[in-house]
Amino acid sequence: MHEMSLVQGLLGQLQQLAAEHNKSKVLTVSMEIGPFSGVVIDSFEFGFGILAKEISLTKDARLIIESPPASYRCCGCGKQIEEEQRPESCPHCSETLFSPEGSDDLILLRVEME
Amino acid sequence: MCDACGCDLKPAHSHDSKVVEVHQSLLAANTAMAAKNRKHFDTMGAVVINMISSPGSGKTTLLEKTIETLGGDIRIGVIEGDIETDRDAERIRAKGVPVVQLTTGGACHLDAAQIHKGIHLLEKEKGGTEIDLLFIENVGNLVCPATFDLGEHHRMVLISVPEGPDKPAKYPKAFHSSQLFVITKIDILPYFDFPVEEATAEALQLNPELQVMALSATSGEGFEQWLDYLRKLCN
Ligand SMILES: Nc1nc2c(ncn2[C@@H]2O[C@H](COP(=O)(O)OP(=O)(O)OP(=O)(O)O)[C@@H](O)[C@H]2O)c(=O)[nH]1
Ligand SMILES: [Mg+2]
Ligand SMILES: [Zn+2]
Ligand SMILES: [Zn+2]
Repeated sequence: MHEMSLVQGLLGQLQQLAAEHNKSKVLTVSMEIGPFSGVVIDSFEFGFGILAKEISLTKDARLIIESPPASYRCCGCGKQIEEEQRPESCPHCSETLFSPEGSDDLILLRVEME
Repeated sequence: MCDACGCDLKPAHSHDSKVVEVHQSLLAANTAMAAKNRKHFDTMGAVVINMISSPGSGKTTLLEKTIETLGGDIRIGVIEGDIETDRDAERIRAKGVPVVQLTTGGACHLDAAQIHKGIHLLEKEKGGTEIDLLFIENVGNLVCPATFDLGEHHRMVLISVPEGPDKPAKYPKAFHSSQLFVITKIDILPYFDFPVEEATAEALQLNPELQVMALSATSGEGFEQWLDYLRKLCN
């Protein structure tokens, strides 16, 4: 459950941002979680639900998560294939090797505070 | 009821809210520290390998055997990561190389800040400043350690024969982010259904650039290939 420690890092960052902007309440937190980040979105939301409630700054905050799709580049013909799951074989050339493409990062996009 | 306007909407609306665009990775602090570590390793002249696997797949045993056979030619050091206890570090210390034990106190992975501390602890150990090849044995866990760059130069993922050949498909991140995949404990292949070729093909489908080898630390089978790999890294 490294999602918990990532949520802790996020809450720390929110506290810093609130202090910088002189705000006392976080309304919404928008995140982008890449398809190859190794982070389970459900677990991240679960962790946020628990930990955010412990701090008055974030106790009513709403978490919005965007998850961009994964895509795969065929090692045979080089075409890009957009699929959630790794394809069995390339629809263009029947190659079975693919390089995964897509973000492996977790990005804090924006925060709404008051 | 909202204090400012008396409306019934609670609490997700506001009268004085501000949207701050951040666009920063949650891993930014870790990544920055990892870059520092990497610079530190380069200054030391050490090649660093981060070992990721499930508990008990044979990381410490592989290190013991590697030190026994290679320790005369290459100066090896080890940073051990475990949730509790210094048992693995004791096993490595018994082989006579500099070692540091980091205990995470519950956390399921090592992060770059812990490794930074580890480097400085290592420097206090005898021989700890003269290391050619430094292994970081991560906490036994095939999921979480994969997300955290420690500043290593190479990352390896290990699967032991009893764990079964379906691990690459089930734990893709560890395989995406590694350069080397080692199948361990092949001396017990006769007792398990572990088609090495299938597991290899599946790992390559996830990451076509992965180098794959299979070995046993107890029988020594496949060990020459592993030692050659390490010798090449240290050249
Ligand atoms: N048959 C066989 N057993 C092995 C081999 N390598 C390790 N083992 C056994 O597997 C068990 C676990 O080995 P360790 O080296 O402690 O595994 P580890 O990955 O360091 O374990 P953690 O640090 O707890 O995650 C021990 O009982 C070893 O003796 C091998 O090549 N063949
Ligand atoms: Mg161990
Ligand atoms: Zn975890
Ligand atoms: Zn193709």
